[in-house]
Amino acid sequence: MPKQINVALIGNPNTGKTSVFNALTGLNQKVGNYPGITVEKKEGVCKLPRGVKAHIIDLPGTYSLNASSLDESVVIELLLNKNDKDYPDVAVVITDVENLKRNLLIYTQIKDLEIPTILVINMSDRMAYKGISLDIEKLEAQLDTKIALISTRKKQGVDNLKDLISNYQNLSIEPCLSTQDIDIDYFKGLKKAFPNQSLYKLWLVITQDVNFGKISRNTIKDTSSFKTKKDSDLKRLQQKETIKRYQFINNVLKEGQTIDLKTAKDLRIKLDRILTHKVWGYLIFGIILLTIFQAIYDWSSVPMDFIDNAFASLSDWTKNTLPAGAFTNLLAEGIISGLGGIVIFIPQIAFLFLFIAVLEESGYMSRVVFLMDRIMRRFGLSGKSVVPLISGTACAIPAIMATRNIESWKERLITILVTPFTTCSARLPVYLIIISLVIPEGRFFGLSYQALTLMLLYLIGFGAAVGSAWILNKILKIKSRKFFVVEMPNYKLPLFKNVALTVLEKTKSFIFGAGKIILAISIVLWFLASYGPGTEFNNAEEIVTEQYASNNLSQIELEQKIASHKLEHSFIGIAGHAIEPAIRPLGYDWKIGIAIVSSFAAREVFVGTLATIYSVGSDQEATIKNRMAAEVNPILGGPLFNLASGISLLLFYAFAMQCMSTLAIVKRETNSWKWPILQLTIMTAIAYIVALIAYQFLK
Amino acid sequence: MNGIIQNIFVFSSLTIAVVFLVRKFVWTPKKKTTKTCGSNDCGCH
Repeated sequence: MPKQINVALIGNPNTGKTSVFNALTGLNQKVGNYPGITVEKKEGVCKLPRGVKAHIIDLPGTYSLNASSLDESVVIELLLNKNDKDYPDVAVVITDVENLKRNLLIYTQIKDLEIPTILVINMSDRMAYKGISLDIEKLEAQLDTKIALISTRKKQGVDNLKDLISNYQNLSIEPCLSTQDIDIDYFKGLKKAFPNQSLYKLWLVITQDVNFGKISRNTIKDTSSFKTKKDSDLKRLQQKETIKRYQFINNVLKEGQTIDLKTAKDLRIKLDRILTHKVWGYLIFGIILLTIFQAIYDWSSVPMDFIDNAFASLSDWTKNTLPAGAFTNLLAEGIISGLGGIVIFIPQIAFLFLFIAVLEESGYMSRVVFLMDRIMRRFGLSGKSVVPLISGTACAIPAIMATRNIESWKERLITILVTPFTTCSARLPVYLIIISLVIPEGRFFGLSYQALTLMLLYLIGFGAAVGSAWILNKILKIKSRKFFVVEMPNYKLPLFKNVALTVLEKTKSFIFGAGKIILAISIVLWFLASYGPGTEFNNAEEIVTEQYASNNLSQIELEQKIASHKLEHSFIGIAGHAIEPAIRPLGYDWKIGIAIVSSFAAREVFVGTLATIYSVGSDQEATIKNRMAAEVNPILGGPLFNLASGISLLLFYAFAMQCMSTLAIVKRETNSWKWPILQLTIMTAIAYIVALIAYQFLK
Repeated sequence: MNGIIQNIFVFSSLTIAVVFLVRKFVWTPKKKTTKTCGSNDCGCH
């Protein structure tokens, strides 16, 4: 037996595949992409009995081997390509005990590929609630495999699964369905033309438009000894195949499964009646949202203050301990301040993802999708658009990729174009810092004004997305089919391990994804703010000392004036002053202008940029928030961040595109520059106009 | 001496940062695409 084996986890969505993956691999897992495409690839390592290591790959959820999306085609391509380094030695098909009939379809297909296959029946703890009993021995005999009955929630059966995986060589690879049952003559011809190939693999190549080994679809078509059929006839045969498979599954379940509805104690129907109610459903969703935003504020203030002070102390320590010079300044004012501007938001980001993970894990999110479909349809979107719009609260990039399961091209295009309006986690640092500066700390019915403002900004983002979808639906003349299917998983208590891993993974990717960009931008900005051309910068000390010679300034005040003069005449000061006329009507000074321009790389760079610029310009205030609060409007006097400029900034970020990576992904998904450029122009114009109106009204 | 070393570190850091940003946003080396949807596409675009 080899020391390392490849194990593929395959199954329908919502069967607890990820829970099984987590139970097998624990923290020994990594998330990446399949080469050349942006479908998520999860891999991990599991130690099996007798010192064997299993390389576990969690394949995207798929209902069958008949691909209708890029995610699903990944599964087929891997299973057909024996030369792929991830080609499984054993396939583990995960099923849900409550949906065995539907889940077994893919099991029969994989078994027919002649890959050793283990069947996992998950969520066994639900059997009593549903009145389900299984005869595992009969099922094993009928399905010609080994079955692991497990409950990842109760941590039952995982060791048995590991044993079965380590003994995979004893599994039968006999197919469930004979290809002769689909069409005798057709498959006889196929066998004659390709005598050394698996018939079911050939059948998949013909019907799925994928390639395996050296045989492509065109090779089969071009083989003179074999005449394939018209597409309509192939479809008919595919339908026949599916019917035959379900006949087989029905017979298996008749023998091995009994459901006694009298003993079922199901709350699901009662809960669904309330949670998807046309009044109560929305009310409950609203209350849940309010609670989330309030909790984000209340729970994260202590760790945030701690992080802010820790970075301020680290910056001071660096400056006081290391030898004085340019690099010490770069570390203290550029790198530490810039990174502090992003690390401070870890608690709030983690809490946001915690709530989203709990809602998804509990099964409630699918009810939200169903609930929102009623609203979405009126705006030219489908219920499936809710998934990208909700996942857009994390990041627009995976959200835009999640539109791939929307069948109608028009609905998909509209969803791609409006998703960047939803409040992504990158906007959160900008919102949080501005809100804390300009919105008072009072409470209204126990809810803080700051939490209410944050919720309002989320609603504005969602409203902008839905409103622009309505307009696009009227403007775009694209004909397409519309239908909406959503699976409602059962309600479950979220598994702590799954929620914790999701929060860890998402927070990590937020910090490290943005962190590298922020680090690089902080270095460049610090350099631009610390160096400058001409005599005004180089002779700043003489010029300022001479200018204030008669003012009797203290040493600290004089140093402050010199730093400020240098900053104004640095490279960044010159660039900032050049764009100032365009942003002055919005209530911003040149420093905010620089922060807005640099945040086009990623929105959260805004805070890091201001932290770096203010750090170079001032030694008086230690924390980012205090530095921003101390900034004075150079023309009007008074705090630069007041209600008018603050609201103007919040609204600017609510509507502006401000994300290069999103533009790139829109270009790739629409295969054209037309849509991202249009999107950028319109969103920036809306952001500018709304921010202008807000500032002019409130100033 | 300290000043020269510190300046070398600053300009090295700046070069690395600029190269990283240019590679990230302006010029990205093309990766070989090994996965396709086949000749007729999979209907996902």
